[in-house]
Amino acid sequence: MTPPAWLGYGWLESHFIGWMLQGAALTAWLALLVCGLATLLGVLLAAGYEQRWRSVRLAVRTFLSLHRNTPLMVQLLLWYFGVAGLLPEAVMLWLNAPHEVTLAGWTLAWPSFEFVAALIALSLYSAAFVAEEIRAGIRSVAPGQHAVALALGMTPRQVFRHIVLPQALRVVRRPLLGQYLGVIKNTSLTMAIGVAELSYSSRQVESETLLTFQAFAVATLLYLLLVLGAQLAGGRARPTLGGGR
Amino acid sequence: MTALEVISANLDYLLLGSWPAGPLGGMALSVVIGLTAALLASLLGLAGGIVLTLGPPLLRRLVAISAALLCAIPVVMLIFWCYFLLPVLFAVDVPGTLTVIAALALIGGAFLTQAVHAGIAAIAAGQWQAGLSLGFSRWQTLRLIVLPQALRIMVPSFVNQWITLVKDTSLAYIVGVAELTFVASQVNNREQVYPLPVFATVALLYWLWCSGLVWLGARWETRYAGVGRK
Repeated sequence: MTPPAWLGYGWLESHFIGWMLQGAALTAWLALLVCGLATLLGVLLAAGYEQRWRSVRLAVRTFLSLHRNTPLMVQLLLWYFGVAGLLPEAVMLWLNAPHEVTLAGWTLAWPSFEFVAALIALSLYSAAFVAEEIRAGIRSVAPGQHAVALALGMTPRQVFRHIVLPQALRVVRRPLLGQYLGVIKNTSLTMAIGVAELSYSSRQVESETLLTFQAFAVATLLYLLLVLGAQLAGGRARPTLGGGR
Repeated sequence: MTALEVISANLDYLLLGSWPAGPLGGMALSVVIGLTAALLASLLGLAGGIVLTLGPPLLRRLVAISAALLCAIPVVMLIFWCYFLLPVLFAVDVPGTLTVIAALALIGGAFLTQAVHAGIAAIAAGQWQAGLSLGFSRWQTLRLIVLPQALRIMVPSFVNQWITLVKDTSLAYIVGVAELTFVASQVNNREQVYPLPVFATVALLYWLWCSGLVWLGARWETRYAGVGRK
């Protein structure tokens, strides 16, 4: 059956859908790495916010404000063009050339410079938002808990690590999941610096086939599946993360 | 040329694009896109939230599903839909700026629909009962009693959404609309020497804009929501 004129008289061939599936896989991989890095960094930033030293708190506040109140797109371009301009030429040549590491039969390819720039920019941006959520979680832990743990002879670091953080993480599970879904959506911006993720590949298929509607429909569907999958995974993790509740 | 000279030589272009000789661009165009999209998104959100509260079941369901879908897809995808398909569907040439405004307004409106609905739901049921038992209609109760209280709770949601919209105006870069980010990449391509200072200047402009909104939001919050809250 031939589709009507406004659909461009054609369906997508399977290898074009293959391109987009590859794009979706890269989106998922990038999002996964970003979520991991952003959570680690976010916890560190939130811990920094609770420090006694004013200079540490000021540094964290500045980091959060700069990353939250400027567009991710500009941050991506800044890392991609700006940092590339700062590095010596030899380093850039090495980064842009393909490298492979073979470890026990597994071949790991060094990612492209675009991917590394995207990973850094997205992780720092997302970390700022994760840090605010965790900070809100830390604030929700009753101050008495802190005092009791200190009175029991724990060091401030032990109190943070064993008393405050576990309770805070339980409170922020839901908002954190929201941030992770945001990360999946935000990876789409990396197409601007040439990362071949899902949005990029849908544009590629669109310009190759001129089947605009079909290309974007498949990409939109794949995004919905990724977001839905992440939501389901987040929901299923609830009982294990929630401890005895 | 030093970085400072490069930036001051291009500052007019970054702020206004080729205006007044050509079309408006740069930060001025970003402000136009941001303000229009924020206004439309707020109206859409308010209407959507009210429909979710008072609308007939079928319409309610339709609005809820569309809002959920719009919130789940990246803004980039919606910009693609609007940019490439609006001209096809309506067989007219839609300017890029308008398609970006449409996409941002739809996404912002979807998020605000959910926020307004939640805000209305947060008002105690007694307020509704009091209004209805005084002989008000459901619409009057909402408009005169519930909404004025709910809007105060919603101030932070609205301000956050406006800030997100301001940042998302930079996505117009992807479809080549000559707003601040696009113009900055043009300057960067032309000068080729100081990418970091150029993009840092642009980041600073956005930062001032968003921080201004954060400051305004904090003031509104203490003024309107401060009563009865800590």
